[in-house]
Amino acid sequence: MDPIAWSVAAPAVGSAFLASLVEAVEAFTIVLAVATLRGWRPAACGAAGALGVLGVLIAGLGPLLDRVPLHPLQLAIGVLLLLLGMGWLRKAILRAAGVIPLHDEAAIFASETGQLADSARHQPTSLDWIAGLTAFKAVLLEGLEVVFIVIAVGAGRGLLWPAGVGALAACLAILAIGVAVRKPLAKVPENTLKFGIGVMLSAFGVFWTGEGLGINWPGQDFALGAFAVLFLSVGIAAASMLRRPAAEAIQ
Amino acid sequence: MNIIREVLKELVGMFLADARLTLATLFLVAVVAALVGVWRVGPLVGGGILVLGCLAILVEAASREARRVSRQ
Repeated sequence: MDPIAWSVAAPAVGSAFLASLVEAVEAFTIVLAVATLRGWRPAACGAAGALGVLGVLIAGLGPLLDRVPLHPLQLAIGVLLLLLGMGWLRKAILRAAGVIPLHDEAAIFASETGQLADSARHQPTSLDWIAGLTAFKAVLLEGLEVVFIVIAVGAGRGLLWPAGVGALAACLAILAIGVAVRKPLAKVPENTLKFGIGVMLSAFGVFWTGEGLGINWPGQDFALGAFAVLFLSVGIAAASMLRRPAAEAIQ
Repeated sequence: MNIIREVLKELVGMFLADARLTLATLFLVAVVAALVGVWRVGPLVGGGILVLGCLAILVEAASREARRVSRQ
């Protein structure tokens, strides 16, 4: 691969890896809650079912993408990436500034376990079914975001496979760590990761949208790095500007 | 059916978490498309408006939410 291709491939694979890391942590918390309460069987069945549905979606949508002309595809994906990336970045800025609370995996684990225990009291006979569905839903919902991000960062330059491998590596890493520690992965710096992913997705969004509109970016693929630096600088400045005094943020 | 509804809600939520941010971004892209496609402005001008517009929309959306939270 030549250096120009790497300038897009590296951010694409990196974004897919980091985004998948975050989504896999969130899905793992719920699958672990299911496994803790009802054992690994319904948790594994639910998760495997969701992975199967995601696999069918990828197999169905993948070939369709090849039939869409490049510029409309770049424009559509660019706009969707802008909406997703700026949404993530906005939330990460607000969390970094203490305006909204950080994502707490331990609290989500406790809440999910509590809800399942509550269901056990009301419908004891169908609890395995409910537990499996909970795991299915968690993996499907988080997985859909991963699938979209892989398609979005990979499709514009024929990087679907490298981006997909990046995402798969992240999911396997979280699965291996999660199975080893058997606790919610609360120490993963989720907001820092989300800040970085929001920056990268927004940068890709501007880049693809511009290309889709027929804009030839100065520096071509290297413009992507410049956009990332701009979004990162503005994001950090905005978080610092909006930071609330510690006492006020705690209240 | 409940699961399908939740999946659709999640998909819509991915792109419509903040309605004003979404509308402003779509409006900006439409304006840049018109500038580049109809008025034939240069790529630097069109691209510059797109980049700076996105940054402005982002800062406005975060500031607006911070103000809303501080009023509560």
